[in-house]
Amino acid sequence: MAVASHLRRIREVLIATYPLLLVAAVWEAATQGGLVRPIFLPPLSSVIASFPDLVRSGEIVEPLLVSMYRAAAGLAIAMIAGVSLGFMMARIRWIKWLFEPLIALSFPSPKVAFLPIFILWFGIDHLSKIALVVSTCIFPFIIAAEAGARTVPRVQLWAADMMGTSRMTTLWKIILPASLPSLMSGMRIAVPFALVSTFTAEMIAGGGGLGGGLVYAQRFFETITVFALLLVMIVIGYLIDLLVLGLRHRVLRWHQA
Amino acid sequence: MTARWFRRFADQAIPIALFTAIWQALPTVELIDPSVLPSPVRVARALWDLAQTPSFYVDLGMTLWRGLAGLFFGAAIGIPLGILMATCPRAHGFFDPLVKVTYSLPKTALVPLFILWFGIGSTTSIVAVAMSTMLPLIVYTYHGVHDTPNILIWSAQAMGTGQRGLIWKVSLRSAQHGILTGLRIGLGFAFLIAIAAEMIAAKVGIGKLLFMYGETGAYDYMFAAVLAVVIAAYAADQALLSITNHCLRWQPSAGQH
Repeated sequence: MAVASHLRRIREVLIATYPLLLVAAVWEAATQGGLVRPIFLPPLSSVIASFPDLVRSGEIVEPLLVSMYRAAAGLAIAMIAGVSLGFMMARIRWIKWLFEPLIALSFPSPKVAFLPIFILWFGIDHLSKIALVVSTCIFPFIIAAEAGARTVPRVQLWAADMMGTSRMTTLWKIILPASLPSLMSGMRIAVPFALVSTFTAEMIAGGGGLGGGLVYAQRFFETITVFALLLVMIVIGYLIDLLVLGLRHRVLRWHQA
Repeated sequence: MTARWFRRFADQAIPIALFTAIWQALPTVELIDPSVLPSPVRVARALWDLAQTPSFYVDLGMTLWRGLAGLFFGAAIGIPLGILMATCPRAHGFFDPLVKVTYSLPKTALVPLFILWFGIGSTTSIVAVAMSTMLPLIVYTYHGVHDTPNILIWSAQAMGTGQRGLIWKVSLRSAQHGILTGLRIGLGFAFLIAIAAEMIAAKVGIGKLLFMYGETGAYDYMFAAVLAVVIAAYAADQALLSITNHCLRWQPSAGQH
């Protein structure tokens, strides 16, 4: 019985991952067979073998922490500013009137075009990267907060009013909990945006981090390092998405799907 | 009719005018150093100047070309792949893990790798744009075709529609909304990746131009070029939106957003 369920589990995992294993095998075979020059595509095995050295020489962990700090700081600012603005737009008419055209105009614009301005204002260290992350991530939060606050049934707001609940308490006790499902969806969109913006800003403006390391490695034709850093980015992106999903599951436990 | 149109226009224009007035006031009363925040009047003058410079259109046109060509290839691969994944379970089993893994990879991080493979130039940008626009198109096409109501398929089959007719006349029509949404997301990515790739390494293009103005201290022109990007991206998004509404005018949900 137990063996059968184990076998079934192994079968499921194999079915889910065989394309990745296949790609890895073709990659390895093509490079080992000398079909491609290692400077363009190094064997997967040598990329994996390079990890201990890269970790020891501080080319992975420290830049990763720097990038994570920038992404997290930008995300936090975008969340606070975006959610407040979104709630206000849902509740106060003139705020919506004032900000809606500005948001409509800037939402489709490629935010990376603003990076030279952020560099001019904040320099080439952390702040300009954080600013780019904020400018990218604030939009999903504004939209999610506004949409979420609109789902609050009017009756609940009237009931709170009647019982003498203050505006702040209404916000904390009614609007915020009711908006959580929408906010978590916005979060799931904003988090990958934060990572991409951080890496991109680092690639363009330098100043360390994984993105900076990637461009640096490419300039010196250290293709193995380029691939190692790309793998780190994929894994980190995937893990953080799992983390957000887990958080959403926890936060929305009380909520009916 | 005209009165309503005018009212709608005013609701958009007055908030934008208000923000522009604040922007004009800040450097004028020297609350912010005018050399780091040029006033709208100076930016408008620079934009007018750029509008009469032929080389500016070369840069802007190059960026638009790279973005749109990349989006074209991304759609040419992504839409058929999405249809294939939705109609053939085996193809879904193979491509789905690959799509999931590459989804979490920041696509701009591939630019250094593509520079190694294709050198600095349009090929690198176009391949990077195609790679990143392909994924939303795969996902949205897949869901659009996959979610085709069974009733529609059964009715078509009962009326003797063949396999090919089912895909062309039923599934694709039903998936139109999803595909166009994917295209709109892809359009946003396209300009973002094209500009980011130019900022990382390029000889021509608006991304290159922005940094050149930044480095030479021509901040009026830098702001003007950013404004041109914002306007171009907004116009492209609006154009796609009106195409979408035109294509979907037969659907009950059309005309929203």
